[in-house]
Amino acid sequence: MTAVPLRARLRPGGIGARHLVLAARIVGIAALTAFALTTPGFTSALSVNALLNAISFIGCVAVGMTFITLTGNIMSLCLGATVSASALIFLASLAFGVLPAFLLALGFGIVVTAAQGLLIGYFRANPILVSIAGLSLLIGGAAFATGGQRIYPGGAGLLMFKGRVAGVPVEALYFFATVIVGQFILSWTRIGRVMVMVGSNIRAAHAVGISTAAAIAVAYVIAGACAAVSGVLLAARYGSGDMELGAGYDYAAIAAVLVGGTAIQGGSGSVIRTLIGVTVIAMIEVVLLLRGFSEQLQFLITGLIVLGVIMLHTIGEKR
Amino acid sequence: MTRAARYLLTPAVRPFTIMAATIVVLSLMDRGTGYFFSVGTVFSVMQLFATLGLVALGLGLTLLVREFDLSVASMVGLAGAIAVMTGGADPWIGVALGVCAGVVSGTLQGLIMTQLGLSSVGVTLGGLLTLQGITYVLTGNATVSYPNMAVALGLNAPIAGLLSVRSAAALAVFLLAGLVMTYTHVGRDIIATGSDRRASRIAGLNTDAVVVGVFAASGACAALAGVLLSYSLGAASPVALADVLAPAAAAAIVGGVSVVGGRGSAMGIAAGVLTLCILRSGLGAIGVPPYVHDLVTGGILLVIAILDAPDLMRRVTAWRLDHAERRDAALKGKSS
Amino acid sequence: MPILAVEGITKRFGPNAVLKNVSLSLDAKEVRAICGENGAGKSTLVKIFTGVYQPDGGTVCVDGTPTEIAHPQHAQELGIAMVAQELSLAPALSVLDNIWLGNRKVPLFHRRKDLRARARAALDKVGLGELALETPVAALSIGRRQLVEIARMLTRDARVFILDEPTATLSDIEIERIFAALRALKAEGKSIVYITHRLGEVFAICDAVSVLRNGELVGTRGIGDIDRDQLMAMMLGRSMSEMYPRWDSKPGEPLIAVRNLRVPPIVRDFNLSAARGTVTCIAGQVGSGAIEVLRALAGLSADATGEVDVNGRPYRLRSVRRAQRAGVQFVSEDRAGEGVFLRLNAGQNLVAAKLSAHTRLGVLGRSGLRATAAKLAAAVGVDRARLRSPADELSGGNQQKLAFGRWIGGDEPGVLLMNEPTRGVDVGARAEIYRLIRQFCERGYGVIMASSELEEVLGMADVVVSMYRGRQIASYRRGAADMQRVLADITHPVSPASPVAAA
Repeated sequence: MTAVPLRARLRPGGIGARHLVLAARIVGIAALTAFALTTPGFTSALSVNALLNAISFIGCVAVGMTFITLTGNIMSLCLGATVSASALIFLASLAFGVLPAFLLALGFGIVVTAAQGLLIGYFRANPILVSIAGLSLLIGGAAFATGGQRIYPGGAGLLMFKGRVAGVPVEALYFFATVIVGQFILSWTRIGRVMVMVGSNIRAAHAVGISTAAAIAVAYVIAGACAAVSGVLLAARYGSGDMELGAGYDYAAIAAVLVGGTAIQGGSGSVIRTLIGVTVIAMIEVVLLLRGFSEQLQFLITGLIVLGVIMLHTIGEKR
Repeated sequence: MTRAARYLLTPAVRPFTIMAATIVVLSLMDRGTGYFFSVGTVFSVMQLFATLGLVALGLGLTLLVREFDLSVASMVGLAGAIAVMTGGADPWIGVALGVCAGVVSGTLQGLIMTQLGLSSVGVTLGGLLTLQGITYVLTGNATVSYPNMAVALGLNAPIAGLLSVRSAAALAVFLLAGLVMTYTHVGRDIIATGSDRRASRIAGLNTDAVVVGVFAASGACAALAGVLLSYSLGAASPVALADVLAPAAAAAIVGGVSVVGGRGSAMGIAAGVLTLCILRSGLGAIGVPPYVHDLVTGGILLVIAILDAPDLMRRVTAWRLDHAERRDAALKGKSS
Repeated sequence: MPILAVEGITKRFGPNAVLKNVSLSLDAKEVRAICGENGAGKSTLVKIFTGVYQPDGGTVCVDGTPTEIAHPQHAQELGIAMVAQELSLAPALSVLDNIWLGNRKVPLFHRRKDLRARARAALDKVGLGELALETPVAALSIGRRQLVEIARMLTRDARVFILDEPTATLSDIEIERIFAALRALKAEGKSIVYITHRLGEVFAICDAVSVLRNGELVGTRGIGDIDRDQLMAMMLGRSMSEMYPRWDSKPGEPLIAVRNLRVPPIVRDFNLSAARGTVTCIAGQVGSGAIEVLRALAGLSADATGEVDVNGRPYRLRSVRRAQRAGVQFVSEDRAGEGVFLRLNAGQNLVAAKLSAHTRLGVLGRSGLRATAAKLAAAVGVDRARLRSPADELSGGNQQKLAFGRWIGGDEPGVLLMNEPTRGVDVGARAEIYRLIRQFCERGYGVIMASSELEEVLGMADVVVSMYRGRQIASYRRGAADMQRVLADITHPVSPASPVAAA
């Protein structure tokens, strides 16, 4: 005799489950904040800076990833490489001036992801497959263009993208600007609403007359722009770049998106949630560091918490 | 398009066509110098196959049921670490414990997914990070060396010049998988679950058991790959092989596995893996710079992504009909 | 001792009580029909018998013992087999593999000779004796797939056989063969539960009939104790006249004309014209092409060809945008998959087609949208308080109203296309929806509806067009159409005559 599966008992999506999850989220964040504030050194300038740094670079990419996930395309495995490649383009073009270099890098990021977005939107090609193809092409293309060498900047004037303004790291300002712009697009523009509808039910969106291909392409363009911004910030910070710069960013970004509570199937979520997700993960890492946990344990505990939070979110929603 | 060409491009046959085409092209590029068509090349291809193949097999099985096991990347490292740390005296203990870890990890993740109704991306992402963390803890964030040199050398010793113990083991696993998938109802159940899970469940299939089993197998395959790799390198490193995931997924897809489930075979995956390994080794043997490998792989994947795109035919048909109608209307306009 | 008995069964989905306190019992050698309208709860009830759903209240007894049927495998162990209304075949597998799919008693090597022989025997019984066992199911028509499902059911070693609307896609000859197989099962001592809309079949093969209405059991009668009209009355709970609104048909000027519509693979040579203020119903079974015709007119079909014009202006098919610009609007038959955004709230669903009107420089006027949502909700009768609830918390009827309501208030009344407008909608909401359809007509819309429910077609239509296997059969004005003739058209027309154009 087989047992009734746990899922039937929990009745995901039921009113009770949703309230339970909301309560758990509030309690969790409150507990984390309390834990953090009682950690010696957390509020020191040094650790706040470390926190802001940690969230800025990955956070930009996570904002872009949010749009990809929201439109129902799960994730992209190519954004990290886009970060690196944009950084390379930026560094290599500094000879033309800082602003033109920035625009070139931005343009590059947009073109790379727009191409993917069009294939995925117009032909409904599989998003993960296309991103893996893009990844290979980017890595190969970059190796071809740079001959495997690190790029060092030609020219000066990177101050626009590094340093501080009023004591706050510039990267953090750019990140918060990205968050504000991203959330504005999502909540207040027509294309933002359309993207959510496409992620919620692409066939229904098509039947209502929405151009689903355009919506998906725009989502990818936003992701590319965000990745390019992150790349430029990284290039300015480190002064040189290669394709390792953005390695692993895809997983960190999607973790932030999921921890924030955006649904992996699309149609539900927001940029603010991703901001919360990025902050929560970074806070956990900083707190563990300050409390003297070894680097290994930090990684493990972070991984377990990410897993737990993702499980918690999904219980509050139907599959 | 001729009927023969269409047959060669059907998803079941396509992996072998691509593999054959790759061999042909590389042989032509070789121009008779014998660098490509040599025993040494085959050996190095099979050495790559030994690791990538097993991971791609496990990942491919999860793709078949319409899921995606992100955690294979760190399972390779973790199993390697476990084996190296416990298999000094008796290598088989290391193998057993490593593969066990893979089975346990896959089963746990599968149970979480099926019992709580969660999507595999979230769960296996958490699994990826957690397994990575466990690897760090176990190895103390340092490279652990494997004392048993005899085993390390023995695993890589060439057999008849073409294979090693490692690649032979991988081939054996593929053969077993292929037989099980084709001749037993396990294969049919996996395809059914991937093809239409709801319908299979109503028909009476225990789809939860199928999914859990597939993830256990995926964990075991990745673990075996990690064990053999670490043994043969004589060391286990805590660095996550994050760059094993994309090639493994690419190999499975070139091997004919459909990303939306319900289509694929073990032998097809083998062909896909071989194609990528042949590209990597072959291009190197001929003396082409390594970036060509990435570009060619990316190109092949892009073509497959477009060919398999569900709306490709819709768009092409609609465009063709629009074009025809506009042309007719123009003709009618001219004549009237 | 009844083989299967349920007592006080209750089942809810979200806020909907789909089954309320249902009790019935089934004896050996009995063929029981379960009848009821769309949304009465018949499919849900049998899914409880087969372990797909678990009841929220009440008990299920097998052979007199209270049992919890946890999932389909357990039902198999208990000897219950079913052919579901939605096909449960895996398209990627062969006929042979599908027949044995999910069967617990199949050994590891599942394609042995004895299993092939038994599959062949079952296929013979349903008339598919010539079908090769290796044929991929994806290559079969809907009717043949249905027969393969029934063959699978016959290979199960069961005591209770449940069939949910098994004949919707079958021809008369195929139906007779199924009946012969069922009679043979009954003679062997098995019990059969037969869910159908088709009252003729009830009287042809069943011993008794249980009627469900709105989730409640209205009653169980022996076949000899009831006639067709009484059965209909039990099912509807009201006379036909109360269900469908009365109106005076005042057709306006011609609105839409369709010529030579061709929708691969089955629809050919379809012609239609409709006037403002009228309801045209295309009557046809599943697979007849009626649904495909409307989808093609809505621009959802990639390979449809033909000539269509609205108000004299032609528009080209195969694009939703072109159809909408011509004034054509569409309500899908697949509410969950294509009609409603289940995870968005009701308000967002209602304004789904109005976004451009409220956009300035790319920015949405959110307060304007909220006001519009409230207006639309009032127009279709959805409670304002529910505007912020996710759509999947609403009943089927309310969800369908969202799918309609989004088309109200456009610039100029055009053509409203609706496929199966009341599928999965309970009786109360259905009457409301019929009223709404009439309101659309009064505003000047031309409504074209495709439906497989003949009562609905006859109750609502100004013009009835019948279809069979992709061809138009006949066309009738209101008053000239009667149940028998239309039923004959859509099941076995004598000759696919060229349509009598609505003059």
